[in-house]
Amino acid sequence: MSDVSSDGILKGVKELSLVHKLSMHLGVFVILIGGWELGSRLGYVNELIMPPPTAIGYRLYEMFFITGSIYWHYFVTMFEAVCGFIIGVSIGLSLAVTSAISPVFRRYWAPYAVVFNVTPGIAVTPFIIAWFGFGWSSKIALAALVCFFPPFINTLTGLLYIDKDATELFRSLGANRKQYFWKLQIPSALPIIIAGLKLAMTGALIGAIVAEFFSASEGVGILMQRFAFRLNMDGSFAALIVMSLMGLSLFTLMEYMDVKVLFWRRHSRMEEVSKKRKAKWSIN
Amino acid sequence: MADEVVIEAKGLTKAFTETVIAVEDAIFQIPKGSFISLVGPSGCGKSTLLRLIAGLIDKTDGNISVRNAEVTGPRKDIGLMFQKAVLLEWRTAIENVLLPNEIRGDVGPEAKQKAWDGLQLVGLKDFEFSFPRQLSGGMQQRVALARLLQTGADIMLLDEPFGALDEFTRERLNVELLRIVDDPEITTIFVTHNITEAIFLADKVFVMTPRPGRIAAMIDINLPKPRTIEMETTPEFNALIKEVRDVLSGHLDGAPL
Repeated sequence: MSDVSSDGILKGVKELSLVHKLSMHLGVFVILIGGWELGSRLGYVNELIMPPPTAIGYRLYEMFFITGSIYWHYFVTMFEAVCGFIIGVSIGLSLAVTSAISPVFRRYWAPYAVVFNVTPGIAVTPFIIAWFGFGWSSKIALAALVCFFPPFINTLTGLLYIDKDATELFRSLGANRKQYFWKLQIPSALPIIIAGLKLAMTGALIGAIVAEFFSASEGVGILMQRFAFRLNMDGSFAALIVMSLMGLSLFTLMEYMDVKVLFWRRHSRMEEVSKKRKAKWSIN
Repeated sequence: MADEVVIEAKGLTKAFTETVIAVEDAIFQIPKGSFISLVGPSGCGKSTLLRLIAGLIDKTDGNISVRNAEVTGPRKDIGLMFQKAVLLEWRTAIENVLLPNEIRGDVGPEAKQKAWDGLQLVGLKDFEFSFPRQLSGGMQQRVALARLLQTGADIMLLDEPFGALDEFTRERLNVELLRIVDDPEITTIFVTHNITEAIFLADKVFVMTPRPGRIAAMIDINLPKPRTIEMETTPEFNALIKEVRDVLSGHLDGAPL
């Protein structure tokens, strides 16, 4: 059985065999990259603006396998983004839960979160640097600032918009506030909460990198800037690809969590969990 | 049938605003063990009346009492079922059935055995560990019914429970519902806008008319029990349908719909 999420609403592409699909992907990739390379080699593309893929590839190879210079920068930026994510998400979630529980808090405090969000986070970078200094903490702070809002607004929305009939069911069963929160509100809101976390993850990475652009001595952001200032375009592009890799790995992590946690959204996972619950069941 | 009254309303009124009167001056007594159908067009206040009895909303005026006690909030002896199954998607069928026990904090071997038996009773053997999304609409309502039985409530308030299902499934579930609630201890109120269904199930049909929501007639259904689908074509049954229709059309003529 196929996944609900990956089924797609419109089935435009005919189902092909795996080999066929892979060769199609490879074909498109080769055409794009090959065209670019050829353009460079034949002099249609200025190497100072767009370095050829082979040059970028070589630079990547050098960074990862010859000098190994990228690893430390990679670690620094990842660390900043992940710390910022954790802090931002913690703030967002606690504000959302407090707002959901207390209408007074929601009315008088939550609007500040909205104002905070509509102020471009990037614009406050100079303040952040002034307050937190040039080290890692200013990057973590900006990452947290940029990423707190999606978990906040998504969690709040998820916790507030609970199915009316389900609420009546819980009331008629005599559920208390705590049971209502843990057994209904939280699980109902989980899909939208996780969607918020995914947005936050990308946001945190952007925050960390932008803060590095402003002032930093280590990290992929500053590395890329140094290359660019020296007109070392292949190095710059290599750094950009490293950023994509970071984003991709963080996103994959979130996808993995999505699949693990929201098992009731996917048929194949439901079958798995169903079997597990059956095995665990005992009358005592 | 014992004549002990379990639910009693006197001048029961619910107004949402001064002009929107959902239920006006409802007066009735419901004896223990009876099956009452509450039939009427959409927006006539049937669901509101049901929620007043369930203690989910407050009345504006009059009295509503269950077992001689004024209804002030949800009661343990009252169970509810809705048009939607309202199952928790992240719980298997049996975990959904056990929800009432979990909320009361008594999930022991007895409760688990009861949930298991309940699912067999509603015809869901082998689906105990399926998740709601793996079940059809009719099966989901069966789980909801098992959950209702699990509460141990002996007053069952059903708000168009099979209204979203296809005709065939609905007929089958109605017959099974009658089998399950055919117990002198269980009192049932069944809300529907389907006249045939209302008559088929009930000992007594309350016909409600809208604006303001009033109980326009109470019609005794003296068809033999157990009821069968074939009865729906008998002259007696058709006479009852006509009687209900006459009450409704008498009130609806000229009324804006």
